[in-house]
Amino acid sequence: MLRFDGVSFHRGPEKVISDVSFEIRAGEFAALLGENGAGKSTLCRLSNGLLKPSSGRVTVCGDDTARTRTSVIARNAGFLFQNPDRQLCQNTVLGEIVFGLEHVVSDRAERERRAGEMLAAFSLDGGRDPFGMSRGERQQVALASILARKPRMLILDEPTTGLDYRECMTIMGVVSRLNAEGTTILMVSHDMEVTADFAERALVLSGGRLIADGPVRRIMRDVKTLDEASLLPAQIPALAVSLGGVFSDAFTVDDMTALVERANATRGEAAR
Amino acid sequence: MSGFLSYMRGDSILHRLNPLTKLVMSVSLCASCFITNRHGVVAGIIAFNLLMAYSAGGLGRSLVMSASFGKLALVLFALQVFFVRDGNVILSLPLNIYVTDRGALFSSLFALRLVAAAMPLAVVLSATRMSDISNALVRYLNMPYKYTFVLTTAMRFIPIFSEEMAGIVEAQTARGVEFDTKNFFKKIRLLLPLCVPLLISSVRKIEGSAISAELRGFNLRTRESGYKTYGFAPRDAAMLVCCAVIALAAKI
Repeated sequence: MLRFDGVSFHRGPEKVISDVSFEIRAGEFAALLGENGAGKSTLCRLSNGLLKPSSGRVTVCGDDTARTRTSVIARNAGFLFQNPDRQLCQNTVLGEIVFGLEHVVSDRAERERRAGEMLAAFSLDGGRDPFGMSRGERQQVALASILARKPRMLILDEPTTGLDYRECMTIMGVVSRLNAEGTTILMVSHDMEVTADFAERALVLSGGRLIADGPVRRIMRDVKTLDEASLLPAQIPALAVSLGGVFSDAFTVDDMTALVERANATRGEAAR
Repeated sequence: MSGFLSYMRGDSILHRLNPLTKLVMSVSLCASCFITNRHGVVAGIIAFNLLMAYSAGGLGRSLVMSASFGKLALVLFALQVFFVRDGNVILSLPLNIYVTDRGALFSSLFALRLVAAAMPLAVVLSATRMSDISNALVRYLNMPYKYTFVLTTAMRFIPIFSEEMAGIVEAQTARGVEFDTKNFFKKIRLLLPLCVPLLISSVRKIEGSAISAELRGFNLRTRESGYKTYGFAPRDAAMLVCCAVIALAAKI
């Protein structure tokens, strides 16, 4: 679905991305992790052709980004920016969702049907002014306008930054559901808890280099790699690593609860 | 183009001139472009600007900026040259379209003026901090600080808005709007709805800046609040004489 082959990217004399290779297969949910300035957003922009690689090759849904216009790539790969205000340009939520569809769907009835689906999925009022909504709601409108196009892949650049817990869960719930339905997800995030809860694979960038690529469960326990990328693991994996022993496999709150209960039961039996 | 008004650190003669001298210089050079009717003088002003940019370490940026204005100047030249009907015909085209010698001279002077007049302020701003211009205007010309603040803030926001617009175009392209089309008119039509997010983000930024300034005692500022002084040195006098000579050459 998305493939980087020896991709480097220079901005002036500075090498922002250095010889990065990976492949994200259809239906995967991958998180891109790294400190500020590691090159995460640049990598996202390379993924949909907003930036062209200085060397190497990027293909998304079979299109070589160096040879395909971004507006064409966007038919298959949706991109949600960190700042929703850059995407919103219509006076109503409905207008905003339909605006995104106008460039792909010529049938008006079909546009309205898809827009209606999105309004229902996000529980949005189509008549509201997007600029009068909260940041989380604006982010939802931006996401709805992308999803109405039914992209095969979704690239999310820090989608939960600045959102409260409820807004964050609403966005991630929709993203998770899409992934379950087969949409490929690449998400940049600083939030390790969100990454641990939703992503299945993690790619760690540091100084423009890909320093780790693997299952989130393994990466979250790799303290050395996370430290190199100036990241802290999510709390439960960190606690599991710290406790070790029978608890070392815990990854979620449910895992840890089950292990603690089992340990208590074993101790109780031993005491009897 | 977004960074062409931003300040570049340096210790050149241009950097060390009094901010007022630099402002007078840019206004004088700009005016000289419109006083003169000779191509040579305008070309000389462009050369002088490039020399100043070179001395300030910003020749590359000035050349890029000149090239950008040059493209606009070429479009204006092409539009103008067919509308001046006086003079001897030097090029005749079908449909009674022709180019005269006077038309070519007038249009080329017009195009050169555009490039020459745009350069001085950009060169000066690349070697002068906005705050220095503002402080000098308040201290030596008794201009109310509010007005200088408006002026310098407006200048400071140009590259910020330019970046914001680039970000908006990028975001719209990523959602499938065809800004990467080669059709100029389609691009213009697509740009119109983007005025909304640009306006909204601009107003938000300005409101944020205004509140921040208020909270830091903006209204308490007086003429004596600035601690910097800007002396006049012989180099300032030399530059003013130089500008006067250029203005005289333009007038003759």
